[in-house]
Amino acid sequence: AQDKPTVRFSSVVSETDIRAEAFQRFADLVSDDFNVELYFGGTLVAQGGELAAMQRGNLEMGIPSPQDISNQIPAWSIVTSAYLFDDAEHMQEVMASEVGQELYAMVEEQLGVKILGPLYFGTRQVNLKPEIDVQTPEDLNGVTLRMPGGDAWQFLGRAIGANPTPLAYSEVYTALQTGAIDGQDNPLPNDYNMKFYEVTSQIVLTNHLVGFDLLSVSLDVWNDMTPEQQETFQAAADEIIAWSTEQHLAREAELVEFFEGEGLRVYEPDREAFRAYAQDMYLNSEFSDSWPEGMLDAINAM
Amino acid sequence: MTALKRIASWLYSIADGLSAVLLTAMFVTFIIQVVMRYVFNYPVGWTVEVQTIAWIWVILWGQSVTVSEADEIRFDIVYSSVSEPVRRIFRLIFSAFIVGIYAIALPAIWDYVTFMKIEETSYLDLRFDYVFSVYVIFTIAVIIRYGWIFYRSVRGKKVAITAAHDTSEPLES
Amino acid sequence: MSFEFGVAVAVIVVFALLGLPIGHAMIGASILYLLISGMDMSIAAEQLLRGLYGSYILLAIPLFIFAADLMNIGSLSDRLLIFCRALVGRFRGGLGHVNVVSSLIFSGMSGSAIADAVGMGRIIINLMLKDGKYPAAYAGALTAASAIIGPIIPPSIPMVLYALISDTSIGYLFLGGVAPGLILGILLMIANAIMARRYNFPVEEAVPVRELPKATLNAIPALLMPVILLVGIYGGVTTPTEAAALAALYAFVVSIVLYRSISPRQAFEAFRQSAKSTASVGILIAGALAFNYVVTIENVPSAIRSVLEGYNLDAVMFLLVVNVILLVLGCLLEGNAILLVIVPIFIPTAMALGIDPVHFGVVVVVNIMIGLATPPYGLLLFVVSNITKSPVASTIKFLLPFLAIMIAGLAIVTYAPDVVLWLPRMYGYNG
Ligand code: NA
Ligand code: NA
Repeated sequence: AQDKPTVRFSSVVSETDIRAEAFQRFADLVSDDFNVELYFGGTLVAQGGELAAMQRGNLEMGIPSPQDISNQIPAWSIVTSAYLFDDAEHMQEVMASEVGQELYAMVEEQLGVKILGPLYFGTRQVNLKPEIDVQTPEDLNGVTLRMPGGDAWQFLGRAIGANPTPLAYSEVYTALQTGAIDGQDNPLPNDYNMKFYEVTSQIVLTNHLVGFDLLSVSLDVWNDMTPEQQETFQAAADEIIAWSTEQHLAREAELVEFFEGEGLRVYEPDREAFRAYAQDMYLNSEFSDSWPEGMLDAINAM
Repeated sequence: MTALKRIASWLYSIADGLSAVLLTAMFVTFIIQVVMRYVFNYPVGWTVEVQTIAWIWVILWGQSVTVSEADEIRFDIVYSSVSEPVRRIFRLIFSAFIVGIYAIALPAIWDYVTFMKIEETSYLDLRFDYVFSVYVIFTIAVIIRYGWIFYRSVRGKKVAITAAHDTSEPLES
Repeated sequence: MSFEFGVAVAVIVVFALLGLPIGHAMIGASILYLLISGMDMSIAAEQLLRGLYGSYILLAIPLFIFAADLMNIGSLSDRLLIFCRALVGRFRGGLGHVNVVSSLIFSGMSGSAIADAVGMGRIIINLMLKDGKYPAAYAGALTAASAIIGPIIPPSIPMVLYALISDTSIGYLFLGGVAPGLILGILLMIANAIMARRYNFPVEEAVPVRELPKATLNAIPALLMPVILLVGIYGGVTTPTEAAALAALYAFVVSIVLYRSISPRQAFEAFRQSAKSTASVGILIAGALAFNYVVTIENVPSAIRSVLEGYNLDAVMFLLVVNVILLVLGCLLEGNAILLVIVPIFIPTAMALGIDPVHFGVVVVVNIMIGLATPPYGLLLFVVSNITKSPVASTIKFLLPFLAIMIAGLAIVTYAPDVVLWLPRMYGYNG
């Protein structure tokens, strides 16, 4: 067992995250064939660097985001757009369909990375400090919303009607507290972990982006496996993805109650109004230029 | 001064001035960022990109051109308490090490920096091989600088690597 | 931990002692580690480039350096000096007290001890050295000691990072830091008073009371600086990082408009000088980022964890052991790196022993900050020695009594949790 190949697996999730537990399970499931070394908190490879590290042979496994991939393959920007997927189930269905296989093939061919599946981590919701009523994108006009840095993320903010601003994640809490920003967008578990609920008054359940990363292994490692090993590897990936997704969905449901208990207003806006506004903005922007022909319609039809 | 020397010193002033320009860019874009968000309620994102690129460059370009050995942060307890012949040996050892290790790594660094052409910055669409190219410059500049320190030390010449120290000891009561 | 790791640590220690700049020693050791482990040597470059590109909050550092340089070139510092002298010059060690109090006031500016030291610290150092009243090394030592307090009093970047890894409220952590920060400040002022007497720092001639109003009026623009920053941050105009730019802008505008004392040439020179200081400090951060990879791939954190689990420590012993480990690590690693890489391994044990997470967070942050100034190897130590142009050894000589009293303060904070927790509890914390 000494000559088992070592698989370095780096991610930015924290050691206490649900996904950290999932990765530990994965390591156990493939432990007959591989020695999987887990690194959390972006300590081995910094956020956004996993893909390049895998391409250069300095990392065997990681969970690059669709945004990271679209940096190198612009067609991927379609899955970073607002209101593409209705929920986690829809996203999984699409990624398992021909559409997903087409997207995965691009990553294999162009980047030498094998995608094992989409790892759901929560749906992004708008979390605001001011006590305003938000039903349509127009209600977010003039609202300063912190979004992650980068023009794709900032465009996402505009696509739901807000004034997006990039800000370091670690500064968001103070900025909300002092009013430097009006709000931020994140999945509910992040709002909980970063204690944003302490300094905000409401969560608008916009569901504007289904958040997921791509559980991936370097193609070299994958190709060196026997067919049986590949099967075990893929089965382990499927198992932890299913488990982690279930855990996240349960956590999100539980957190709605928790936030209400903390005195926050948690409500659904007119999602159809948001969806129409966002898809229109994307179609009239340079972002949709690179989207594969007919893919949006195929996804909308599913 | 010969014409050649004049051109060299003129080129150096420009290279040196770039450090100041980079810091100015950071400062000005920070102000723009605050004004756009707070005064006009129209936040912009490209400023962050200018700032982070300038931050990398101001450190590595500054280390290549602007910073002198006396400005470097070092642990000089031992160095400053030994005689010049011993210091010379110290300089020979550490400059040989840093020239050697940076030179051995240079091909790998070149490979990484050129590889990064696959990614672009988000707002300005600058290729990352351009953004990170300053690391190649930095590595070469350090090799040259410490090569020079090594050469001077071999020839038995002094090199001032520590700042002029305030030698006044505290007044004991 | 492997043979290669031992080599890398030895290389840092030996070459730093020989006089190689510390940043180069850390980068060189990281490359050597990769080389003898048969790994891709470009990883060191990748780590530090990506690390610098992703560490947005560090951008406050160059801006505070710039603000400080401008305050010196425009006559803001001088006017502040005249005012401070008039106010406390008649007391022995008066400017030393000013140093500590200014750290307490300006701690809101940066949330980073290094930034506090190179920013405000630089200004106060210049004030203390102006007439040769204090030894340069003393000014540096006191500045390093008082800069420790900066990130303990909110806002605080290390506390935000701790909240991130520990699932603790940032708001309560901030409140928890207030009392320990003030206690450390008072302890330092006591130490300063004793040292001033011991070394017989000269007192200044008492300024007649009738001259006070004029000195005050002249100093108002400088005194307004912290007010402007606090309004900037707490009024929701800027983030703590952006506030650094506001400070620089304020110094710039006041110097030009009010005093007309900055020529374009001087302004350019200020930018150049600040860029130079930024590069000196920045290469140190870069070196820490590169070496962090070595520490991670060597699984140093889990090694420490398994050693800890081998002993069955109670809460008192556990806190003592954590304090000692962090103080030692503070000599080797950058503060944020310790928080993100090492502290997570202590948290589960701390919780299991029933230690309050807010209390533990404050202890950890105080500890890491002290570690930054602990001889023989601490970033703050090098930074202040670089500003004062004094040998590190002289700085250490003056720093030791301050550190002794800070460690006494750490003991209070560690073993009297109520000191930390009473304020958060007043605002509804159940702990
Ligand atoms: Na101070
Ligand atoms: Na602070």
